[in-house]
Amino acid sequence: MLQNRLGKLAATALAGSMLMGAAACGGSEEPATTASPGAGTGSAAPAATGPKVGLAYDIGGRGDQSFNDAAAAGLDKAKTELGLADTKELEAGNGETEAAKEERLRLLAQGGFNPIIAVGFAYSGPVKKVATEFPDVKFAIVDDEAAQGPNISNLVFAEHEGSFLVGAAAALKSEKNHVAFVGGVRTPLIDKFQAGFTAGAKAVKADIKVDADYLSEPPDFSGFNDPAKGKTMAEGMLDGGADVIYHAAGGSGGGVFEAVKAANAKAIGVDSDQAKTAAPELQSVIMTSMIKKVDVAVFEFLKAAAAGSAKAGPTVYDLKAGGVDYSTTGGQVDDIKSKLDEYKQKIADGEITVPSKTS
Amino acid sequence: MEEAVISTSTPAVELEGITKRFPGVVANRDISMSVQQGHVHAIVGENGAGKSTLMKILYGMQRPDEGEIRVNGTAVGFRSPADAITAGIGMVHQHFMLADNLTVLENVILGSEPRRAGVAIDFGAARKRIRTISDTYGLGIDPDAMVEDLGVGARQRVEILKVLYRGARILILDEPTAVLVPQEVEELFGNLRELVREGLTIIFISHKLDEVLSVADAITVIRRGTTVASVDPKDVTARQLAELMVGTELPSPETRESTVTDVVALSVRDLSVHSADGRRLVDGVGFDIRKGEVLGIAGVEGNGQAELVEAIMGMRAADGEIRLGEEDISAWPTLRRREAGIGYIPEDRHRHGLLLEAPLWENRILGHQTRRPNVKGPWIDRTGAREDTRRIVTEYDVRTPGIDVDAAALSGGNQQKLIVGREMSGDPVFLIASHPTRGVDVGAQAAIWDHLRAARAAGLAVLLISADLDELIGLSDTLKVILRGRIVADVDPRDVTPERLGSAMTGAGGAA
Amino acid sequence: MKAAESSFADRLLGRVRLSGLLSLAAPVVAILFAALITSIVLLATGAPPLDTLVIMGEYGVQPRSIVLTLNSATTFYLAAIAVAIGFRMNLFNIGVDGQYRLAALISAAVGGAVVLPGPLHTVLVILVAMLVGAGWASIAALLKVKRGVSEVISTIMLNAIATALGSWLLNKERLAVEVAGSNNIGTKPIAESGRVPGLALIPGTEAKVFGLLFLAIAVGVGYHVLLNRTRFGFDLRATGQSETAAVASGVNVKKMIVIAMLLSGAAAGLIGMPQLLGASYSYSLDFPTGLGFTGIAIALLGRNHPVGIAFGALLWAFLDTSSSILQLHEIAPELVAIMQGTIVLSVIVAYELVHRYQVVAGQRRVSKELASGTPPQGEGASA
Repeated sequence: MLQNRLGKLAATALAGSMLMGAAACGGSEEPATTASPGAGTGSAAPAATGPKVGLAYDIGGRGDQSFNDAAAAGLDKAKTELGLADTKELEAGNGETEAAKEERLRLLAQGGFNPIIAVGFAYSGPVKKVATEFPDVKFAIVDDEAAQGPNISNLVFAEHEGSFLVGAAAALKSEKNHVAFVGGVRTPLIDKFQAGFTAGAKAVKADIKVDADYLSEPPDFSGFNDPAKGKTMAEGMLDGGADVIYHAAGGSGGGVFEAVKAANAKAIGVDSDQAKTAAPELQSVIMTSMIKKVDVAVFEFLKAAAAGSAKAGPTVYDLKAGGVDYSTTGGQVDDIKSKLDEYKQKIADGEITVPSKTS
Repeated sequence: MEEAVISTSTPAVELEGITKRFPGVVANRDISMSVQQGHVHAIVGENGAGKSTLMKILYGMQRPDEGEIRVNGTAVGFRSPADAITAGIGMVHQHFMLADNLTVLENVILGSEPRRAGVAIDFGAARKRIRTISDTYGLGIDPDAMVEDLGVGARQRVEILKVLYRGARILILDEPTAVLVPQEVEELFGNLRELVREGLTIIFISHKLDEVLSVADAITVIRRGTTVASVDPKDVTARQLAELMVGTELPSPETRESTVTDVVALSVRDLSVHSADGRRLVDGVGFDIRKGEVLGIAGVEGNGQAELVEAIMGMRAADGEIRLGEEDISAWPTLRRREAGIGYIPEDRHRHGLLLEAPLWENRILGHQTRRPNVKGPWIDRTGAREDTRRIVTEYDVRTPGIDVDAAALSGGNQQKLIVGREMSGDPVFLIASHPTRGVDVGAQAAIWDHLRAARAAGLAVLLISADLDELIGLSDTLKVILRGRIVADVDPRDVTPERLGSAMTGAGGAA
Repeated sequence: MKAAESSFADRLLGRVRLSGLLSLAAPVVAILFAALITSIVLLATGAPPLDTLVIMGEYGVQPRSIVLTLNSATTFYLAAIAVAIGFRMNLFNIGVDGQYRLAALISAAVGGAVVLPGPLHTVLVILVAMLVGAGWASIAALLKVKRGVSEVISTIMLNAIATALGSWLLNKERLAVEVAGSNNIGTKPIAESGRVPGLALIPGTEAKVFGLLFLAIAVGVGYHVLLNRTRFGFDLRATGQSETAAVASGVNVKKMIVIAMLLSGAAAGLIGMPQLLGASYSYSLDFPTGLGFTGIAIALLGRNHPVGIAFGALLWAFLDTSSSILQLHEIAPELVAIMQGTIVLSVIVAYELVHRYQVVAGQRRVSKELASGTPPQGEGASA
């Protein structure tokens, strides 16, 4: 079966390369020509009913229990609900160049995949470049607004707004008037989480103490996947007096939860509803999670693309649009739900403007 | 073991018609010999005569093309050293194969660990057995000592013990004295006599004739790959034995008439070298060497000779004054001293004299990398260096197929001739010759002596350090004895015997 | 025989030469062996080895892939040369990684801050990178010479420090500017005048080859000339082969350590240049990392020989490039890492085997040639 598929794909790739060669002989490389045969095969193939979708992950790929997985969930949902013909998921290698990311997108475009979703800001440059080469292919990039183009949709989130809500929840639940934030890697993106969290906590209690620290510094991205370090840092914060810890540290969050459980304190999850997805013995310590609905964004984009109505330019998934939210699984925040929803309303109404940067 | 049933008159090892060809060359040709049980049987021959090949055949490392090997009367065909070990043959290599950071016990059992219940290593049993062997043969080895703490002689005894531990009854020792100082040689010979007294057989490979004569019960001489004589040591002198080895009349190191001038080439005053822990390795040494003079330094090895040489070369920090001609060179780096005309034949040519894995012409450059014909400004002058290497190869009779072969491919004697030729190039005013003929065969030895004599006659000042007392006495115009870093005696080489010089070296009394 | 034999490390690092056809035999044997191992891995994971190789091969010869391969190889080549300079002298500059990252960051910042006419701008950026690389390497050199600290340890530490220093510098308050609308931050982009345009060397694609490909070639030629034709190179190789013999010959080993380390660091500074001046024009969070370690592998693969390294870099780059196509065919791209690893290991093993054969063969040859000329005085064969 694999043999079959390989044969087919090899033939497709070969055809693509031959076409490219033909185009080259013609003197100019017309991207439109290379892109269209793929789309053509897609509609001509008898088994294919919907579009062929390509997904390019950053490091980690499907199975990272976080950001990439959320994108994968959106794809899976689209697969069942929209009946996609074929999907292809590629992931980045460690420390690779932009050229490699470009090539990944280009291979997908040449292979007839349309639309193509790039997950993560690292694809910003490559998406911009490849999108101009393949004007007939729809691209989407998650977490980036810099790559703009007539065929690029930017799926961005107001992480600071969601973080504001869990910051307020943390302040309301803290008995020692002391909360903390563990960031994975000190990037502008994670800074947004910290800024929102701090603002939310201070909105509840102006004098609350908010500790914040990061597990690693770029270009060292290990902070997103180092539970041991996360545990150590959380332990330090708990010893320092904090009793609610919010993490935005991807896979390192598991370590934070362990430390919190041992200290009998409270934790706040990130990206997905971690009270459901974390290890079962740790779920009880997660009082709420800041949900970033990458899956929704991916699904909606695919749906729009299938309908031919994908919108170019940024789509901001903010609190108002339901792109970010807090979770209530476990019932630990039921008592303060009304207060949180009040803040939520104020942000949606524009009454409160949440800062997206710490400084 | 089974040799109990074999009559003692059966030779331990018999070789008959052994021939081993390498492509284009016959390393061993029709070798026949017989080694009696309980004998120390010496095999002598020049470097490269084919001794080592023969031993590799006997130890199963190479297979003969023709001929038969019989061990205790039974014909054998070894495919590997493991077969030889099973047949009771063990080999002690010239260079030790011990792991420094393990104990004697661990080194000995490495590769043949006794197992308890098939899994755990039975250290207790091994320790007991090592003690028994050590006591039986008087080896004096503590199984729990770390190998890195042992001296050279003790390491060699560990190697012997290792072989005995594996059940060897016939021991092959390949040039065992090459790495030992005289006292250690005596100890080794004591051990060997102990071993044969206990019924073991020893095959002893050497080209040091004095040693062979003092320890062997029988001698087989090999020349150009074949056995030329089997003699009884009682019936031959060292000189006769040497002539058998070389096949011609022997040269002698004697210099005829004095060429000493009154111009001082090198002058050393109050030279001291300290070890890292503050001991004085060289202690207030002073001497003058004039043009055309050979100054010999006699001494038991390890009494400061090596440090003295390194201090003069600027390779080791030292106090005191060194003058080359009129100039005080004490503070000069090695390179400048060499450029000023100091030549250096090092004691250990592999460590200090050659780049073994580099071709001969690059070795010609070594130590002369700032001077013509090797360089032009910052550039290596390949043509010049190669041409001059060819000159050295011709003038100094370096036997090599070309100047592009690696130095490692040459025999020791030819390597040394290359070094001598190199150091004589560039008109040196002063030459340090440290054991210039060590490990060199008789033919090369004579050639090197000739070159030293010729250079001396041409006005070269030479500092000669050697363990070969005949060489020292024969070549030197002046002799000084060094003991524990100090010059303890001046000796006139014209009326001293090796025996008297030897006793002066050990501090037994002034010989002057 | 001990003293006469080169150590395993000497052979590993190519300080011992193999001559003639033998030097070709080893890599061929190694690649065949690696192909065998890879096939086994492929079979074990359920993918057909031959098809996989065909896919990689077909993809690899497309014009665009060739450009990608050449561009990666340019960077890899510089990295391997930087490592090789140290290796030839027995210095293990593990710190090439930190040196190039720091050099790329600072030179990118300098290049972004100034505008100079044409080539001057480029030259300035490259010089700054070399100086920073050499400067960072000099710390390890001085520690070794003055305090006897092993350069392996110090450079590993310095890599970690370079990472921390880099992230401290790559901050809006210091060298970085935010990339608008993105979660990325980087240095200010280098103006047009400092960039090195790509070259349309390969017909059939619009993709361009890094202009600094020629810098890499020049560095390779310079490396060869320096090592083999100059006094300095001789001293360097002599020190690598036998430090004791070098000392006795008058080489100032400490001075050599410092110079070799500085050269290695300066070459390391160049590693980031093709990417910086030819593609990204700024040092940002996604600047390629880990090239120093790739350089170590390729230097081993190419046995520190300038041509060998070129082949190694091209092979490595080809494998890297073709890993993208594997994913499209549902074959784990990690396979490429396995291939790269096995090739390096196989090369080491193959060279060791060939070396052993060569030692014996060399001695036989000497004795044979002597035997045919003069009567066999017995040089060699038994030594």
